Amino acid sequence: MLKVKDVTKYYGSHLAVDHLSFEVNQGEIFGLLGANGAGKTTTFRMIMGLLEPNQGNITFDEKPIDYTMTDKIGFVTEERSLLTKLTVKEQIIYYGILKGMVEEDILEKLDIWLEKFHISEYKNRKIKELSKGNQQKIQFISGVIHSPQLLILDEPFSGLDPINVKMFQEVILDLKSKGCSIIFSSHQMEHIELFCEKLVILVKGKVVLSGYLKDIKKEYRKKNILIEGDVSVSELKKIKGVLDVTLLNQEYQVKIESDAIVEKVFQAISKSRITKFVVEEASLNEIFIEKVGEAYDE
Amino acid sequence: MTSKFWFLTKQSLNKKVKTKWFLFANLLLLVVLVGIINMDSIISFFGGDFSSDIEIVLLDETKESKEIFEQNLTFSKETLDLDNDISVEVYSGNLDKLKEELKENDKIGIVLEKDNDVYMKAKIISDTKIDTMSYQLLVQALNQTKAQVAMKYANIDPIQLQKITSNVEIERLILDTEAKTDDEAMSLIMGTVFPTVILPFFMLVIFLVQMIGTEINEEKTTKSMEIIISNVSPKTHFFSKVLASNVFVLMQGALLLIYGGIGLLVKTLFGTSTSSSSLTSTFNDIWNSLGQMGIMDRLPEIIISALVLMILSFIAYSLIAGILASMTVNMEDFQQIQTPIMMVCLLGYYLSIMAGVFNGSIFIRVLSYVPFISCLLSPALLVIGQIGIFDVLISVLFLIITIWIMIKYGFRIYKVGILNYSTDKMWKRLWNATKQKG
Repeated sequence: MLKVKDVTKYYGSHLAVDHLSFEVNQGEIFGLLGANGAGKTTTFRMIMGLLEPNQGNITFDEKPIDYTMTDKIGFVTEERSLLTKLTVKEQIIYYGILKGMVEEDILEKLDIWLEKFHISEYKNRKIKELSKGNQQKIQFISGVIHSPQLLILDEPFSGLDPINVKMFQEVILDLKSKGCSIIFSSHQMEHIELFCEKLVILVKGKVVLSGYLKDIKKEYRKKNILIEGDVSVSELKKIKGVLDVTLLNQEYQVKIESDAIVEKVFQAISKSRITKFVVEEASLNEIFIEKVGEAYDE
Repeated sequence: MTSKFWFLTKQSLNKKVKTKWFLFANLLLLVVLVGIINMDSIISFFGGDFSSDIEIVLLDETKESKEIFEQNLTFSKETLDLDNDISVEVYSGNLDKLKEELKENDKIGIVLEKDNDVYMKAKIISDTKIDTMSYQLLVQALNQTKAQVAMKYANIDPIQLQKITSNVEIERLILDTEAKTDDEAMSLIMGTVFPTVILPFFMLVIFLVQMIGTEINEEKTTKSMEIIISNVSPKTHFFSKVLASNVFVLMQGALLLIYGGIGLLVKTLFGTSTSSSSLTSTFNDIWNSLGQMGIMDRLPEIIISALVLMILSFIAYSLIAGILASMTVNMEDFQQIQTPIMMVCLLGYYLSIMAGVFNGSIFIRVLSYVPFISCLLSPALLVIGQIGIFDVLISVLFLIITIWIMIKYGFRIYKVGILNYSTDKMWKRLWNATKQKG
């Protein structure tokens, strides 16, 4: 289990991470969200031991993370960190040996991974000759070749087309099913919603929201009502507690303050011809925008 | 961690050695070195001739200068140190016929004419241009011939004439027995031994700086540094680079020696007899000069001092190149950091080439202690006897202190630098990194 406890990091006088705490259990996928400069990469670097926190501590399986522990951790950085003059095989051997593996074992696993990503034919090709998507796959393989117990994925889907995103999603879920703990950062909230059970939202290094995703959504009072039919937008907007009404794809999206408003809205349209009336929880994207926005305003 | 250190070292070395570029560069070096050593044979093979025969057709209108001219030709040939065979054929025809005859061959026509005013005039006639050395030989011989003819006409008796024209007897005395420097011997050593020893060392330093700098810069710019440093400590990473680059330059140095050896072997086996004998004679001259300057007696201490200084300097150069390269974020930065290192090395190179000029000044002695320069300057000054072994020991001590400082304090910069992608100016980043705690 990864435990980040009350971690603070300064760059000179700039506060990058402020009293951050979270835990990631075995086989759990954890989301670390935040706008650019929120402190996500700094947090990942501290977990990997590349940076030392000014305060707090980070442990994995109750032990501080040092060079004896990093062989158990896989790290896929946001920017491609591949030696582009090497071939795919040479690159994976290079990173694999740095993870304490032996060459034979690396080659055996490499074949399996290349097969899984449908890129076996690129094994002896130089990395600089590969497309961005395929380079991303090689980078991912370099992070998981040693079957890590903890996998850190910093924006793993950036630059990938939908087909490759789906391929990555399947692989990540497969790793989770095998007991690998995964920390995940992404700007795309739909990915976080799909994968993460737990998450933290950081703004300027501070935690503005944390916990299990379902609890966060449940506790978030604002809801959306989707209505299809003949309704008067001006009448809906007059209801106290209705925040906004927008027409999206021939259905109205009514944003409301809390569950209590649902009944008022239903009564207001009950005499109209209605074909759809659905109450749904706010999306993570909405929660993120509101929380991050609020924190910036502060 | 130890196995990862050796893996990184091996990886760095392989990356440099197992490339087509390394193979190509070394093949080129081999060809160039063998070519330079065998330049005379190559030129001869393509029709050039360093020691072509000089065939002279002499039209002596004075009827009395032939023997004098021949004697002077032989004398001038010796003073100019020429290997050419010279033959003199007396021509009995007239000038016009001689000119016609010379159009058909490479012979040189010399016409000696009597002159009442200036005793003797001469003509040098040839169908094509004459090379500079041959022309100089002829002019010198003709001048001496004219002088002798003139003295004869001035009624100077033969014994007197012999005394006037004979070479001055010179006795060379050096009163200061400690200072065994000899200008003639020194110029030969400065002109031959220094460039062959110092130039390869200078080249190797450039290779070294390039290798360590390029590798660190590449790992940073590709962002693979984060992955590497998350698996091995910066110290392991740094010293693997330092070791790999030093092993590489020592290997390259050994290869240069082998190429030189191959060049000499080729010269001995396939070179022309003249070029081989000229090589042997040059070696003998150098050997004699070394002996004359007392260097042969001090050769072991000079070789050991130079080797120690070179190895320590390689380490120092690789440390400074690695530390500075850690602060780079792109190729432009890397160019910037190379410049001061190259300038220092170049300064050392020129100072050592001109070492003899400074004539034992305190300034040059102090400069020979300066790390990064000492490896080039100190052995040079030691060879020409301007400093002693004690001065070399001071240089070694300063180098060791510099290496220690770079490991202790420079490593801080490295540790901070390798993961620093700040957009501040490079030298500002460097300055800020020095303030970080180790």
